[in-house]
Order: sequence, then structure tokens, then C-alpha cells
Amino acid sequence: MPPSLVLLPVLIPLAAAPVALLLSARPRWQAGWAVGAMATSLVSSALLLAHVWRSGPPLVLAMGGWRAPFGIVLVGDLLSAVMVVMAQSVLLAGILYAVGSREKVVAYPTFYPLFLTLAVGLTGAFLTGDLFNLFVFAEVLVFSGAILTANADDPYGTEAALKYVYISLLASAALLLAVGSLYVAYGTLNMADLAARIAASPAGTSDQPLLGVAVALLLVTFMVKSAVFPFHFWQPDFHAAAPTAVSAMLSSVVVKLGVYGFLRMTTLLFPAQRPQIAPLLVALGIVGVVYGGLSAIGTHNAKRMLAYSTLAQIGFILVAIGWGTPLALAAAVIFTVNHSLVKSAMLMLAGFVASRAPVKTAAFAVVQGVGKAMPAAGALFLVGGMALAGIPPTNGFISKMTVFRSGVEAEQWWALLLLGVASIFTLIYVTRAFMRIWWQPPVGFTYAGKTFAADEIKAKPYGDRLLAPALLILAVLALGLWPTPLVDLAMAVSRWLGSPAPYIAAVLGS
Amino acid sequence: MMTPALLPLPIALALAAAAVSAAVWLTSLHRRVAITPLAQGLAAAPLAAFVLLLWMQPAIAGGKSLSWSVPWIPALGLSLSLYLDGLSALFALIVSGIGVLVVWYSGYYFQGDDGNHARFLTFLLLFMASMLGVVMAGDVITLFIFWEGTSITSFLLVAYKTKDPQARAGGFQALFITGGGGIALLAGLLMVAHVAGDTSFATILASGEALRASPLYPALLLLIAFGAFTKSAQFPAHIWLPRAMTAPTPASAFLHSATMVKAGIFLMARLNPALGGTDLWFSLLTGFGMATMLIGAYLGLKQNDLKGLLAYSTVSQLGVMMAMIGQNIDIAFKALVISVLAHALYKSALFLVAGIVDHETGTRDLRRLGGLRRAMPASFAVAFVAGLSMAGLPPLFGFLAKETLLATTTHPNVPPSVSNVMALLAVTAGALLLVQAGLLVTDTFLGRPRDPDVHGHEAPTGMWLAPAIPAAFSLVLGLAPGPRVVADFLANAAQAAYGEKVKVSLALWTGLNVPLALSLVAIAVGLLIFVNRTRVRGMMALTGDRWGFQHIYNDVLRGIDRLASLATQLQGGKLRTYLAIMLASALLLIVAAVSLHGVPLITAETMRAGLGSVVDEEVGLLRALALLMVVGSAAATIVLRRDFAAVIVMAAAGLGIALLMVLEPAPDVGLVQVVVDTLSTVILVLALTRLPRQQRERAYELNFVQSRPALIRNAALAVGVGVVVTSLTLIALTSRPRLSVPTPFFEANAKPLTGAKDIVGAVVVDFRGFDTLLEITVFAIAGLGIYTLLRYTARTAEDHVAEAPPTLARHLRSRGIGGLPTSPFVHALALVVLPLAMIVAVTHVLYGHDQPGDGFTAGVIVSLAVAFWYVVFGYEEAKARLPWLKSHRMLALGLLLAIVNAAVAALIAGSPMAPVDFGKMLGLPLPAGMNLSTSFLFELAIGLTVLGSASLMLDTLGHPGDR
Repeated sequence: MPPSLVLLPVLIPLAAAPVALLLSARPRWQAGWAVGAMATSLVSSALLLAHVWRSGPPLVLAMGGWRAPFGIVLVGDLLSAVMVVMAQSVLLAGILYAVGSREKVVAYPTFYPLFLTLAVGLTGAFLTGDLFNLFVFAEVLVFSGAILTANADDPYGTEAALKYVYISLLASAALLLAVGSLYVAYGTLNMADLAARIAASPAGTSDQPLLGVAVALLLVTFMVKSAVFPFHFWQPDFHAAAPTAVSAMLSSVVVKLGVYGFLRMTTLLFPAQRPQIAPLLVALGIVGVVYGGLSAIGTHNAKRMLAYSTLAQIGFILVAIGWGTPLALAAAVIFTVNHSLVKSAMLMLAGFVASRAPVKTAAFAVVQGVGKAMPAAGALFLVGGMALAGIPPTNGFISKMTVFRSGVEAEQWWALLLLGVASIFTLIYVTRAFMRIWWQPPVGFTYAGKTFAADEIKAKPYGDRLLAPALLILAVLALGLWPTPLVDLAMAVSRWLGSPAPYIAAVLGS
Repeated sequence: MMTPALLPLPIALALAAAAVSAAVWLTSLHRRVAITPLAQGLAAAPLAAFVLLLWMQPAIAGGKSLSWSVPWIPALGLSLSLYLDGLSALFALIVSGIGVLVVWYSGYYFQGDDGNHARFLTFLLLFMASMLGVVMAGDVITLFIFWEGTSITSFLLVAYKTKDPQARAGGFQALFITGGGGIALLAGLLMVAHVAGDTSFATILASGEALRASPLYPALLLLIAFGAFTKSAQFPAHIWLPRAMTAPTPASAFLHSATMVKAGIFLMARLNPALGGTDLWFSLLTGFGMATMLIGAYLGLKQNDLKGLLAYSTVSQLGVMMAMIGQNIDIAFKALVISVLAHALYKSALFLVAGIVDHETGTRDLRRLGGLRRAMPASFAVAFVAGLSMAGLPPLFGFLAKETLLATTTHPNVPPSVSNVMALLAVTAGALLLVQAGLLVTDTFLGRPRDPDVHGHEAPTGMWLAPAIPAAFSLVLGLAPGPRVVADFLANAAQAAYGEKVKVSLALWTGLNVPLALSLVAIAVGLLIFVNRTRVRGMMALTGDRWGFQHIYNDVLRGIDRLASLATQLQGGKLRTYLAIMLASALLLIVAAVSLHGVPLITAETMRAGLGSVVDEEVGLLRALALLMVVGSAAATIVLRRDFAAVIVMAAAGLGIALLMVLEPAPDVGLVQVVVDTLSTVILVLALTRLPRQQRERAYELNFVQSRPALIRNAALAVGVGVVVTSLTLIALTSRPRLSVPTPFFEANAKPLTGAKDIVGAVVVDFRGFDTLLEITVFAIAGLGIYTLLRYTARTAEDHVAEAPPTLARHLRSRGIGGLPTSPFVHALALVVLPLAMIVAVTHVLYGHDQPGDGFTAGVIVSLAVAFWYVVFGYEEAKARLPWLKSHRMLALGLLLAIVNAAVAALIAGSPMAPVDFGKMLGLPLPAGMNLSTSFLFELAIGLTVLGSASLMLDTLGHPGDR
């Protein structure tokens, strides 16, 4: 395979975005083009994954032929490839949802181009081997996401986008400071080169004056990206207002950028500092599980609930990364992939219900009882809810089981106990949400000055299409019943992450 | 020949039946297929499973077993495996046997109801498949998967009447409690597998000693017991079971008496050979079991609802079974298996009769029923027989169950202190159960009708036949003294649970002995209470709900809800608060990192060493001035109240930075900074013109009117962040000679490899050209964002921004600033500036690679000239005069050109974005200093994109609006 294969998942959406913009006068063509581009891109990333999984060493592409550490390299290693395939699968589902959506924002001429640049930002951030380049990709990602949200039909979209931008700017500033600190200390931006130089200089010497600060700043960056408590604040406000197709991406795959960052930090860049980072990840993970779970119970909007649920689910992943045993890392990867699928599906289902509610919102008071007219969505929601709660035969069970098992094998009893107790929260909010939307009779409500009586609340006959969440839930079930490929893959990723040396050698050349 | 490959068949049969039922439920078939024949047809599946399991009996007789397994997740050493031994067979036969009756009965239960009740059958059959999976699991993970399946299907069945709030609450409570138990169970089972080294029961049962000796033993036992206790409704988790009675009666009969609630019993019995026999095991199971037995028997007596009474008596019996598993003597396991079978038989019969009563009379309230024996003779007969068995009276099978229980409690191997208590409790519970059974039969069928509105009719034969069969078995098994087949079958089950051979005989008469005496006492006491039942029940009603324990569940849930609303309060919606918390946390993290890792101190010496050269140079004074300008302007933005002023001052700060760059000397960066600073100021001002005055005034207020604590908080954070960033910079500057890995490479290779004299240009376009490509993408995104937001979203949303078009924007429409016609001189200036700007831009693009300046600057310079046109000519005229300026298209084509350029380079030089000099390649005669290369094309693309995006922003912001 030529190394340029690693560029295709970035290049295809990047090239497709301006073309989509040129097609804006023909909305149907534009939508079709976007779907086709994303699907093609997914094929290329799947090819990348297949190749790397089979052959082992990563595909390294030096942009412009400027080899590392002088130019920018794209590195398609097993971890990146898994993340990219996961991200692009969900992004494809997101575009499909948008195509079937009745939201106004989807019809704006810039929607699909920006959705494609969102894909560029996320994919590139996973694939780049250069820390500054990661910063630039993150900017592409943040601005695409923020603008898509600012344009939401929901009147609070702009406010949500503003918060997202501000908080993301905080993360960007932290990342930039971290990159600067590392550059001052080690004179390089290339991640492999950095890893090699950090490992070569013994800890605590004046050789690495800013290492500690850089680690802290990178942690802040990735915690904002992954919405880890107490850096999560953009997340719940964001999801209640963002267009469904966009929020389904942000809370599922985009937050995984932080997870990816933590994995790279603990296994590639700072393995020697792991003992100091790990307890923090475990502690914040547990706080996230408890706080996210409780807040999801306490909130009054289905989309917000799912956003809080992401805090809790990311918490599980963080704890597993903190444990850091081979099985725990595999569990983190499994959890990451599985959560992406189910969370995007659940947000789409919440959006689907909102699209048919008398007023377009996922507030429980409004959507209560409207599910009666849409039993298929209810079945999908129930399965998705089971996956969130980790109940078989869904992929969520595989996630939870592997995390618990890795905890048992690592003998982390206290963390396990807290995770277990907090798991019950998931069951509570998922069940309640399901019962409210699908079983309870509607109640009257007042929304934006208009009052609806209980007996005049009826679901609209038309709304968004159910195709995308149905496909995702199908994947949730498929990976629950037949998890072997994903588990094998995650174990391979975990083995690959076991030692940074092969990564460094592949990028820098030996 | 019996092969283990047939083991999945019973589960598959149930699943297949569920699939058929689901097909009827979800398609229009449900309108054409009546529920009764559908149920009768579907009952064939459990019947086949039952027969199949019977047929397998010889293969497992005498302690043998069958097992089947298929690899599932080999990487984790997990298989899906099934296992059939005596214990599994006992439960599986009950599940499939009662299953046949319940499915059959459901067809009558829902007869005449318009609803689409194929849904019920689907859930019921799915449950049956799960339950068969639980009792036939050969591996803890397999068991857990099916275990959770029963929880979910139970939830769906309890809340089946979804319109009923009680049903929803009952379903939720059942799921909450059993689901919570499930989490503990999973952890416990994983710990067992961890200690034993494998997840299969075969390995686990063989590693009993290691398990009991492990330091994890108490923890894993408590976790598993928690899971089993919640599932089997042991005190104090028993509360979900009575509330689960909102399920349609066939489901109650099946799940909540005969099968699912025995899953916990099954699990503990299954694990007994591995985990049992310890003091902890004994006290845990005996203690909770006995408490459950007593509580259930007592609370059952208080009930007025037929099903509620049956539910509590089930709780009581489940307690008995749990306590039996706690005993390390063979007779206890004999008592266990007899109880399991006896209870399944009589309780399912009674439940189904209760369903008939409810169905035919419309009520289950004991205070309204009575005297139904004449109207419903068959049902009465069935209830009478089953009731006798429940009461533990001879010659029914229930008597035998009670006798073995009493025999266990008085067994010499049980320490006398425990034995006495246990016997006392067992007698009490036995007496109370007798009263309950009596109440059930007499108050329903005997006496006079209490409520004239309640009329009974006999159910169709097919319906009462279902409970008649288990009731008949209760009688036959009691009367026919010790049929060998049944005794052997039960002995085989007991052996699997006990771990060694257990002798089982089913003779009712075992001579005059202590158990019989105790039994007589129980009956006597029971009869005494029964006679005075009205008075006793009246006294019990006085205690209220205190002993119902439901309030504990309510309190727990309320507590969680309170915590939940507390948690959400943190997310108050204010960005300020969010940022404050995040900044504080980030500072905390940095402080922690510094204290863990240490940083070099900044001393006067290091300062001099690091910064000396900066201060001492000739331009030092100029530098200081520029710095002062930056700091002063930045400070002024905080103080200035007027937004316009603040924007202008901010522009000054930007220019100061540009000056610093020029002095560095980095003229490229300085130039870019100047034009970017100018453009952003123009854009900000244009944006401000679109805001109505009141709103801007409100914004000032928000900015300046703050409470003192908020002010202190913000000041502290600002100082903290300032200190951190400043020290970071100082440390970076002073710590040590900074070495850059790529700089020497850039210096050496910029000219020879990229043809650029200027390193910055080479870095921007070549070495790190990919960054540049993405950065112009961000710029393009920003332009598109402003455009979409103002042209589409702000228009569709109820836009408060454009309510009162501000004067400035209105004037921009036709004539320049201030609404005054601009002078011919300004016109002429504008006419000159744009072409001039374009010439400058073209030179930048052409020579940018060699000289300071680049495509980005070029794009911005032209955009600034365009902005000037908008101001001078007004929006409409400027638009008319610039027909070529199609911003969208320019932006898109610019980006495309950059990408195509990169791809062409990949084709020619083998690497995307590699430098290729077309001029040299094709031997074109070009003026000196100019080159036609990928770098040139890239610069052009950058210029186009930037011009496109910037003019899109200007166009959007300068647009006077529709109103």
C-alpha cells in the first residue's frame, strides 16, 4: 500500500467540501455528493485500517516529502486507524441523518461543506503525527462544529455555539502553550521525535524545565475536548441546542479526540509520567461517572440527558486508560468505539422524537407521550438505552464487561465499587426517559409563550428519517452479539500501544 | 442418541416462537390472527422444549451432565456454553412445563380484548428463552447475559399496561432493584472467574477450595449474594415483587412465582459446591432467608389483593429456599428441591386461578369477593387443591415440602441455638402460610357474596385446564407415595446443588417424629389464627405501612433525585462561571504539575543571561516602546466603556505586536500581522454597526456592573493566569539555550530545495504547507459561518439583533459614512486604491516566495481595498461595480486549487504538496526572480481563498438587511 493511503481519509472530505459549496445551488446534488464523499472516505479509512491491522507497522506519509521531524507527517498507526474508521462511520450516519432531516439548517448552502470540514478536522487530528498540526486540525473541527451549531433552528443555538467556541479557545490556548513549552524544551513538534527526546532525557533534570507544565496543559486540552469534569461545561448546553445531526457527532466521536489524546499521552509521549497522570484520570473518570449519571437523572431534556450521559461514559474510558493494563487499554478502545455508535444513535433518536413533537425540542415536558405514534423509534431507543446501561445483548455490555474485567484483573477494588454503584444511574435515566417518551401520556406544557393542553398534543405525521439511527442500532446489536472482531482489534491496538519504540522507529526511520 | 448439540434447542424453540409472535405483533397479521389460537399454536414451542428436556433425562441421571459450547470472544477466553445437569433440568422443566400452560392460558386471558396482545406473547416467550438460558448456562458470562434478559423482559411485562402509572412504577422498581443487583452480580461473577481462572462453571465448581481460601471470597460472595437476593426478592429487596403484580396475571404466575424469582435460588444452589459450606455463607443465606420467610408470611396476611397475597407468600417461600441453601446438610437440599417443585406447582395454579377470578369478576379484592364456588366450581376445585398444598396439609405435595423443611431445622447437624430459632420461625411461617391459603380459598369462593356487583362465571374449559394440571400434580405427587422416577429426578437435582449424593424419598408418612409434631403445632396455630382472622388482620392494619419497607426504596430514589438536581445546578448556563471554574481547575492542575515536577527558578542572573541581548540591542528602546503600546492598549480595552474605542485600542495592540515582529526581525510575520489586524478591526467595526444601541449599552452594563465577590474572583483568576503565562514565557526565554531541531534543516534547505530565499516563506508554503492549507480552510469556514449566520439563521430565527436597523448600517446602504455623499476626491482615491492593491497583491503572489509577503497578505490587501469601496460607494453601488467578485466561488475555487495543486505534486514528485517547479521542468522563459511552481500556485490559491472569504464577510456584514 502506498503511504498516501493515510492522506485519503483527510483529503477526500477536504476536497469534497469546496465542491459541495459550488453545488450549493442544487441542494439534492450537494447532499448526494456529501454522502458519496463521506462514504468514499470511509472506504479509504477502512482500507487503511485493514492494511495496518494486517501488516503491523504504521503507514507514514511525509507531507511535501519533508521527512520527520522537519516537516509534517501523517501517521496511520493502528490506534489512529481505529479512531478514524469509528469517526467516519458515525459521520457517514450523521450525513445520512441530515439528508433525511427536516431541520432548516440542513437546507442552508453551507451545511454540507461545513459538515465535511468537521470530518476533516476530526480525521486529521487522529492521523497527524505533529503536535502543532493537531492544533490546526482541532481548529478546523471546532469552527466547523461551532458554526453548524450557531445556525441551529433552536433559538439557543448561537448561545451554545458561543460557549463552545469560548471554551474551545481555552483548550486551544492551553494546547498552544503546551506545544510552545515542549518546543522550547525539546525543539521539535513531531510527536515521535518528542517522545524519543522526552524518554532520552532523565526525569527531573533541567533538560526538561517545562515538561510538567506541558503535561498539565495537554491534560487540560484533552479534558475540554472530551468534556471531562470540570472541563465539561460546553457539553450539556451545546447538545440541547445543536442540530441533531451535529450534536450526534459531537457527543459521540468528537469527544473521543480527548480520549485519543489521553491514550497518546500515556503510551507515547509521557510513559514515564504515567504514574502521576493515571490517578488523576481514574479520579476524574469516577467523578465523571457519578456526576454525569446524576446530572443525566436531574435534567429535563432528552438531549441534555444524553450529553450528561456522555460525561459518565467517558468516565469509564478514562478510568480504564488510568488503569492502563493491556486489558484495560483494550477495554478503553472497545468502550470508545461502542459508545460512539450508541450515543450518536441515541441523540438521533432524541432528535427524531423532537422533530415530530408539537414544538421542536427534546424537553421531556414536550416530548412526553409523543412516542406512542412511533413504536419503531421506541424499540431502537430501548435497545440503545440497554447499550448505555451495559445490558446484553448490546455492545454496551461488552464494553462494561471488559472494563469491569480489566478492573478485577488489575484488582482495583475501590474504583470498581464506585463505578458499579454509579452504573445504576444509567439504568435510572435511560428507563425514565424511555417511559416518559413512549409510555406516559402527554401532559400540557407551555413553551416559548404558547400553551398546549394535554389532549391536543399529537405527534406530527412527518419528521426526520429513522434510517441513520436504525443502522447504528443495528451495529450496536451486531457488535453485542458478535464482538469478536472488535475485541480482537482492540487487543491488537492495546498490544501496539504497549511500547512506544515501534511507533517512534516507524516515524523517524531507524 | 442424545447429543449435547441439542442443548441450545429448547432456547432456540422459545426464541423462534417469540419471533413468530413478534411477526404477528409488528405486522398487520395481528388484525387477522386471534390471540387464542395464536397462543395455542405458540404453546407448542415450550411443549417441544419440555419433551426434549424429558428425553434428555436419562443422559444426565445419576449426577451426569451434558455440556455444549461455542467460542464467542476467544481473545478474552469467552464461550457461550450450556450445561445440563440435575439442577438445571429441574428448573428447565419447570420453566418449559409451566411455560406451556401460561402461554396457552394467555390466549384466553386476553380473549375479547381489542389490544394487540401478540406483544405480550412476544415478551413472554423472550423471557422464557432467557430463563432457560439462565438455568442451562454453562458459564458465568452466558448466565449473566440471560439473567439480564430476564430483567428486561420482566420490566416490559410488569409495565405491560403502560397507561397505568402503577404498572410503570412497578416495572421501573423491578428493573431498578434487579438491575442494580445485576451490576453487583457481574462484578462478583468476574471475581469468581478471576480467582478460578476461567468463566466456565465446570472450572469454578472444581476450584471450590481456592475460591473459599481466596482473600476475595467475602467480597465476591457478598456481591453474588446481592445479585441473587435482589432477583429472588429476599428481604429487604423483596419490595419489588408485590409491586410487580401489575403485570398481567399469566406473567405474574410465570415470572414472579414459578420461574424468574427462583433465578437467585438457582444461582446460589449452582454455586453452593464452590462457595458454600463456610460460616459466612451459612449466616448470610440463613439470616436473609429466614427474615424473608417471616416478613413475607406476615405481610401476606395483611393483603386484600389476591395477587398481593400470593406475591408475599411467594416471598416467604423464596426465603425458605434461600435458607435451605445455606445449610450444609443433605436433607436441606432435599427440602430445597421439593420446595422448588411444590411451590412452582401450587403457586402457578393459584395465580392462574386468581387471573380467572379477576378476568371473570373484574376484581381481585378479597373484601369484595366471596361465594364464588357455585358460579365457578372448576376454578374453586383447582384453588382448593392448590390451596391445601400451599397450606402444607396432607396429602398434598406441599405438606411434604413443609415436613422436609421442619426436618432440616431440627437436624442434629444444625447447632441447637440456631436450630431452635429456625424451627420456631419455620413453625410461625408455616402457620401464617396456612392462614393465607385459607383466606385465599374461603374469602374468594366460600361464604356469601360480599359485593352484589360482583358476579362470577366459570371460565372456558381451556382456561381453567391450565391451573388444573399443576394442581393435579400437587395432589398426585402427594398421594402416590414416592414415585421412584420423580424421587430420583429430585435426588439428582439435589445432588448437583449439594455436591454429594442426596437421598430423596417422597413418602408422606415418615413416622411419629419431631417434624410431624412441629407440623401439627403449625397447623393448630394456623387454624387458631384463621378462626380469628378478622381480628388479627384488623390489628395488623393498625401498624400501617411501617413494615412494608417500600418507604426505604422511595427515600433512596428521592435522595438520588435530590442529588441529581443538585448536580445539575452546577450547570447554570453562565459562561462566566464555566470559564472561571475551568480556569481555576487548569491553574490547579498546573500548580500540581509544577509541585510534582519542579521548575527552574527565575533569578536575576538567568534573566540577564536570557534577556540581556534583547535589552541591550540598539533597537532596545524601540522594543520597549512597542511593548508599552501593546500592554497599554490591552489594559485600555478593559477600562474603556465604549466598544468602538475598545476595538480601536485593540487594533493598536495588534500593531504594537507587528512592530515587535518587525524588530525581531521577522518582517514577514510583521506584515501579516499588520494586514490581519487591520482587516479584523474593519470586520469588528462592521459587526458593531449591526447591533442596536440599546443592546450595546446593555452589554456595557453587563461588563462593568459586577458584584464585589465576582470582581475579586475574576481579578484573582486573571492574576493567576497572567502569572502562569508570564512565568512560562520567562522560563522559556531564560532556561537554557533554546535549540530547535528543524531550524538548521530549514536554514540549510530553504533555498536549494524549495527555491525560497525567505525561510518563513518556505516554512509557510513548503515545509509546513499543510498547516497553511488547513489554516486557510479555517479562514474560509469563518467566512462561510458569518455568511450563513446572518443571511439565513438570523433571518429565520426571531432576530432581535436587526429589529431596529442602526443608523450607520442604514447609511452604508446608499452613500458612504455618515450618510453624506463622499467627495469626488475620496471616490478617486477608492478608484485608485483597488487596482493598486491588486497590483501589490499580484507581486506578493509572484515574488512572495523570495521576498517578504505572501498569498495571504495579498488576499487581505485586496479585501481591504474592497472594504474601502463598500464604505465609499455604499453597498449596492460597490456590488454593482465589482461584478467579478463572486466570493463563494472564489473561496471554493481557491481551496480546490490548493488541493489539486497538492495532488499534482503528488503525481509528479511522488509526495503531496512537494515542491515542483513547472517553469524549470518545462523550460519556460520567465522573468528573473519569478517562478512558476507549486509554491506559486499555492500562494495564488491562498490569496483567492482569503479574498473570497474576507469579501464574503464584508459583503455579509455590509449588507444593509432586508428591512
